[in-house]
Amino acid sequence: MSETSVFDDLPGDLMIWVLIVSELLVFGAGLATFLAVRLTDPEGFALAQDMLHRTGAGLNTVVLVTSGALAALALHLRKAARRGPARLALVGAAGLGVVFLTIKGAEYAAKASAGIGWDTHPFFTFYYLLTGFHAAHVLAGVVVLLLVAWQDTPRNIEAGAAFWHMVDLVWVLLFPVLYLLR
Amino acid sequence: MAMLRDPLLRAWGWLIGLSLCSTGVSLWHWPATLTPLAGALILTLGWLKARVILGRYLGLEAAPFWRRGFDIALALFCLLLLGLYLVSGLL
Repeated sequence: MSETSVFDDLPGDLMIWVLIVSELLVFGAGLATFLAVRLTDPEGFALAQDMLHRTGAGLNTVVLVTSGALAALALHLRKAARRGPARLALVGAAGLGVVFLTIKGAEYAAKASAGIGWDTHPFFTFYYLLTGFHAAHVLAGVVVLLLVAWQDTPRNIEAGAAFWHMVDLVWVLLFPVLYLLR
Repeated sequence: MAMLRDPLLRAWGWLIGLSLCSTGVSLWHWPATLTPLAGALILTLGWLKARVILGRYLGLEAAPFWRRGFDIALALFCLLLLGLYLVSGLL
């Protein structure tokens, strides 16, 4: 007799979902703590937030969601046995990940040249902690995408793309809270 | 036209549109009384983007049980964030 589990319904490997939920919990706790600490100094947080470049972060969101679309397309192509275009889509997704990191690096450099550090205000402590941790995931994701472009079994691409979508998912929650909520 | 019906392309279009909307809402000069409404709108747009990524890119559209679970958990999380955001306006 075969037994089916509700976990069988999940697309892809169960472990990638464990990772996705873990990451959402970590970043979720960080964002909730950020807003809780903001209660102690709303004006200070608003002034600090005004020093961020909202349009630049919006542009970076466009870059990251486009990269996510390319990763999803790569899996679609690989399942259709179109290995070359799938690899190209993965390299494109990784390339846009590098663009995201470059824009983020320019953002950090602008803050540093303005004399803004992680200890300037509690807002910036959370800003550097959360965006820096996210950027580390983007860097890891770029490596993962290039690895699965090389070892391009459908299962590998599915896992690599899922990791990349998780990075995307975290950003679409982080971006409005850190940059946009005034 | 066939391209416009492609689910991946449509998901990408939605994500770009929602991202531009939330940035636009934030850059708009809202009267002070409407700032909480703008915040609620921005968080709602963020929740919608997360739903698109989970449903279309991570494939939860094919797993309604998990889709519902993630939708509810994310909605509750966004409500928590909204509550914390709105309380700061009352202080």
